[in-house]
Amino acid sequence: MNSIKQDGLLYPIVIVHYLLAASCFTVLAAMLFFSVDTLSGHYFQPKLLALTHMAALGWGTLIIFGASYQLLPVVLETGLFSHKLAWFSFSFFISGLVLLVYTFWIFDPGIYMQAGGIFLLTGILLFGINIYLTGRRSKKKDAIEQEFILTACIWLLCTAILGVLLIFNFRYAFLPKDHLQFLKLHAHMGIAGWFLLLTIGVSAKLLPMFLVSSKPARKFLNLSYYLINGALILFLLDTYRYGINIKTYFILLAGAAGIVSYLIFVRSCFTSRIRKAVDPPILNTMLAFVLLAAGLIAAPFIIFYHLKNDALALRFTALYGTLLFMGWLSALILGQTFKTLPFIVWVKRYQHLAGKLKTPLPADLYKKTLLKVQSGAFVVFCLMFFPGLIAASPFFIKLGLLAFLIAAWGYFFNVLSVVLHKVKNPDHDKL
Amino acid sequence: MINFDITDQHSFFKLEVVEALRQVIDPELQINIIDLGLVYAVEIKEAEKQILVEMTLSSPYCPMGESILLAVKNCLELNFKDFSAQVELVWEPLWSYDKITEEGKRLLSGS
Repeated sequence: MNSIKQDGLLYPIVIVHYLLAASCFTVLAAMLFFSVDTLSGHYFQPKLLALTHMAALGWGTLIIFGASYQLLPVVLETGLFSHKLAWFSFSFFISGLVLLVYTFWIFDPGIYMQAGGIFLLTGILLFGINIYLTGRRSKKKDAIEQEFILTACIWLLCTAILGVLLIFNFRYAFLPKDHLQFLKLHAHMGIAGWFLLLTIGVSAKLLPMFLVSSKPARKFLNLSYYLINGALILFLLDTYRYGINIKTYFILLAGAAGIVSYLIFVRSCFTSRIRKAVDPPILNTMLAFVLLAAGLIAAPFIIFYHLKNDALALRFTALYGTLLFMGWLSALILGQTFKTLPFIVWVKRYQHLAGKLKTPLPADLYKKTLLKVQSGAFVVFCLMFFPGLIAASPFFIKLGLLAFLIAAWGYFFNVLSVVLHKVKNPDHDKL
Repeated sequence: MINFDITDQHSFFKLEVVEALRQVIDPELQINIIDLGLVYAVEIKEAEKQILVEMTLSSPYCPMGESILLAVKNCLELNFKDFSAQVELVWEPLWSYDKITEEGKRLLSGS
């Protein structure tokens, strides 16, 4: 049989990333539930730093690393460069994450926080090298998806380098400007440079595939790439030099145009889809796009109130940050996990039986009821938490975070049930 | 799309093969590989007792690619016990959504 070979060595790498990310998500939800007060205060405080890094690294980045190892061969049409590098990257990343989140929580900017930062940077650097060398092997040199992914890795590395500098700046105060000014640059390199570019790159390939779209408007992806990167570079240069100012509106406009271009591409995938039924994981993904747009709408309010020196700027910053991290990214991951994880488990458990007897489909591997609970709880979270944050209502914020905790537990048990899925007796009639 | 020549002595056997291959489902789209237009040709080698299937995948690194190819081989050897099956993976012509049959489109649209 003339065939392509599945990469069996990827299985444990991907699984361990998914499992640990799901665990981090439940820990994050619990941390948030027990520290509601921090969300209404200034964004630069120890617990919020711990929460943000748990969300961005333990939840978002860890699962993106795992999913990338699985999806890169699909997107770049080549095999992963090195499995060993992936394991080294994972080991450094996890050690760094634990050290960093704990030392942020108790705020001890000493040797352990510094070591955490260095470990994380090493893990990220190894991941970046692996992706870069995988990309170089790809024959599809001109694909815009590849540009998105490789550029995202560069931005992640820049984010991590600045992050480490900020950690050392706590102790040695060597940076030439205000710590908060660098924090804005660090956050936006992470949000727009890493998360946004990477998710656009991967979804540009997967969305038309999942929906069977006949006419995805790919030209908007090119536009999106240049607008987002251009806006991000301008934001970094301008904000470093002058801080948030009136020009920031125009830079935001350029970035927003880039996101709208991407959303036009997404819309074209949906409108030209041959597969009409939209499954629950894709519904979660659609919610993610709505939350991304909502985050974008919140951004000009931050600039507006910041320029007026109004305290509302802090509230909108919290809204903006949570809409992106707990809203957009979480909804995206909560949905896409069940479009990716069941496949890798299915291949491991059922590939040898395919065609010999009736096997369950990958979509049968996750629990539909748990997914409904997770999705329902997440919608309740959105309806309670974000309005609660705008109205500064601790009651609605707490209620929202309770729903978030339920969504996290539903997700965790569902991931666990997929990973622990056992093949029934092959002779069994109902298999 | 597979074409059948009525004058071909194996045309009815090939039809049986195609019907058997309808049992092989794309795990993501949940549509059989015939209606997805993934199978390009079927050849019967009577003397060698061999069935040759020439097919493609929707993407060169389709995550389920190996599973689908294995399923084709398993399915044919299970349904035609006297024959061995050989699956040839080809990338020309490149698969596109135009290759999906009307029935496949109907199934995908859920109508």
